[in-house]
Amino acid sequence: MTTGRNGNSAVAQRSVERATLIYMAVGFAVFLLMGVLGLLMRLQHAGWISLDPRWFYRLMTLHGSGMVAGVLLASLGGVARVIAPRIGLSPRLLWSAFVVYFLGSGLVILATLVGGFAAGWTATYPLPVRGDWPVSATWGFLLGYALVAVAFLLWCLAVLAGSWRAFGGLRNALAWPVLFRRSGASDRPLPTGPELAATVVALDGVIAVLAGVVYLVPIFAELLGIVERFDALFAKNMLFLFGHTLVNLNIYLAVALVYATLGAYTGRAFKLSFPVALAFNLVIVLVLLPYFHHLYQDFAQPWPLHLLGQIGSYGVGVPAFFVTIVGSLGLLYGSNVRWSAPVIFILAGLWGWTIGGVAAILDGTIAINNVMHNTLWVPAHFHSYYLFGAAGFTWAYLFHTLSGVDGWASGALARRLSWLYSVGAGGFVLAFFFSGLQSVPRRFAVHLAAWQGLAQLAVPFVVLLGVAFVGLAVLAVRALPCAWREPVTVPGPADD
Amino acid sequence: MQVGVGVVFFLFVILWTAVLWWVATRASRPTPYEAVTRVVSWLRRWGTLAVLVVLAIAFVVSLFFLPYRASRAARLGEPSVTVEVTGRMWAWELSRTTLPLGQTVEFVVTATDVNHGFGIFAPDGRLVTQVQAMPGYTNRLLYRFDEPGTYTIRCLEFCATGHHVMRTEFVVE
Repeated sequence: MTTGRNGNSAVAQRSVERATLIYMAVGFAVFLLMGVLGLLMRLQHAGWISLDPRWFYRLMTLHGSGMVAGVLLASLGGVARVIAPRIGLSPRLLWSAFVVYFLGSGLVILATLVGGFAAGWTATYPLPVRGDWPVSATWGFLLGYALVAVAFLLWCLAVLAGSWRAFGGLRNALAWPVLFRRSGASDRPLPTGPELAATVVALDGVIAVLAGVVYLVPIFAELLGIVERFDALFAKNMLFLFGHTLVNLNIYLAVALVYATLGAYTGRAFKLSFPVALAFNLVIVLVLLPYFHHLYQDFAQPWPLHLLGQIGSYGVGVPAFFVTIVGSLGLLYGSNVRWSAPVIFILAGLWGWTIGGVAAILDGTIAINNVMHNTLWVPAHFHSYYLFGAAGFTWAYLFHTLSGVDGWASGALARRLSWLYSVGAGGFVLAFFFSGLQSVPRRFAVHLAAWQGLAQLAVPFVVLLGVAFVGLAVLAVRALPCAWREPVTVPGPADD
Repeated sequence: MQVGVGVVFFLFVILWTAVLWWVATRASRPTPYEAVTRVVSWLRRWGTLAVLVVLAIAFVVSLFFLPYRASRAARLGEPSVTVEVTGRMWAWELSRTTLPLGQTVEFVVTATDVNHGFGIFAPDGRLVTQVQAMPGYTNRLLYRFDEPGTYTIRCLEFCATGHHVMRTEFVVE
């Protein structure tokens, strides 16, 4: 059996491609289903339906965890597909990760909908073990999380192993010859932008999963009666080092998908230049720091850590903005771009990701956080960069994969649906921002009459969003069988 | 505070929307990529520097408005009144419910079961300050009430089924 330049046989490579397609398709389906739960929550906030609070909080928990899991799964699949031609990924690892991910997600769904677990997607200790639901539901939810974390770890290991092989070590995989302006020292290739992003995410992903293990193991020990309780502040640190980092890494996966998509429509390519190499190497450290902003209001936490959180919250956005966002606008400007659904999603993503980032910087300022923390300003900012950025960029790549430059995604219907999505998502998040400025608390099952107006304003925008996604989903599903049969498009020459 | 945040944020939203609109409307007009990359490089170099300077200034200025005890004591004065606060599912216990106007008050906040968020809302509905209530820890929050009226305490850290009904009130006079 012959092997390709990435070390995989043709059969193995086909298996990798199909796995990545399944990741994206299942992630997109989960995203749509979780969106329905989000609509129900906003209808409840608007006072137009009356859900029992127990059910509201179950749905809220499932919506949050499902969205994170679904979008992350799709992004992992997309990035794996982009890097697969040069970085030989193990199909066995990818499929194993998918099965483990699927089992974990199933446990989370059962734990919330059947078991009644409702501690929110963050499941902040000690709530998971002191909540008013059966202990079996807590077991189910946390085991589900553990499985999802294991699956993510498998993906990270697959990428790190493949990257190590392809580039002859981490030094080249992290583009240090570009960073330190040393060339010709090695006959090994240098990574492209998406490959560099994938390696950085995989490195930080391992650290995040380790923090998740440190968070979960004591809880399991408490559930088994081995320990009575443990330190809530330490647990909160580990939880957010895991959860916040994981969610942030999703955006860097999505950035890799922007690099892979936009060039096809503009005829221009992202260069792996010094700023790109510097930005991604800085991200390795910077992405681990902002989680401290979740603990600003824990005054018992040593204050230097609060300041470190503010520095991290300010700093992490700078390389992303000036490398990816300014670089993407440079690709677009004067490019005679072929407007299509993926390009519109990326443009909208640049809008939402940036305003979400600015909102995060404001909220990452300790003095401001004191009057904004845990108001609807927080979901406003993370919905902005998640819905527009992490998810939007991923769907841009998914549509590009299923359509190609000249396929259905460039048709009038797909373009109109994409603009509809942009308007719907924009109105939806802006209503959240206004509610945050109005000091409306987040995670309330019942809203005061004075708070309901903005939720009522948001609902029609959510409906627009839903209509757009259903339409795009119909178009995408029709293209799925063809993509399943076709081999992946081999990318052009590596970036210089 | 919220008004200032809103003004800064929405001015940025308008500006950023205009920038993207400008780029999008010029995306279909062919321009040599070399010319664009020169501008991108210039933006990356000087834009990064400008933003870092702005963020550094914001960081330093913000240090004078930290909500922590020492910082607030320096701005508001040492507290003349102390209120013991305990959060539990799903109620707040306060050692006193009438507080003096214009004097610094210290809230000594803890929780007995899970994490709660001690959020103080002014009579007009604005969140004026907050601190976490965490089992095993005591957080000290200083604040001076300059407006009389009935203030509402709401839980701002999700604590399961009764989270939204975990509220109480105190009067400032």
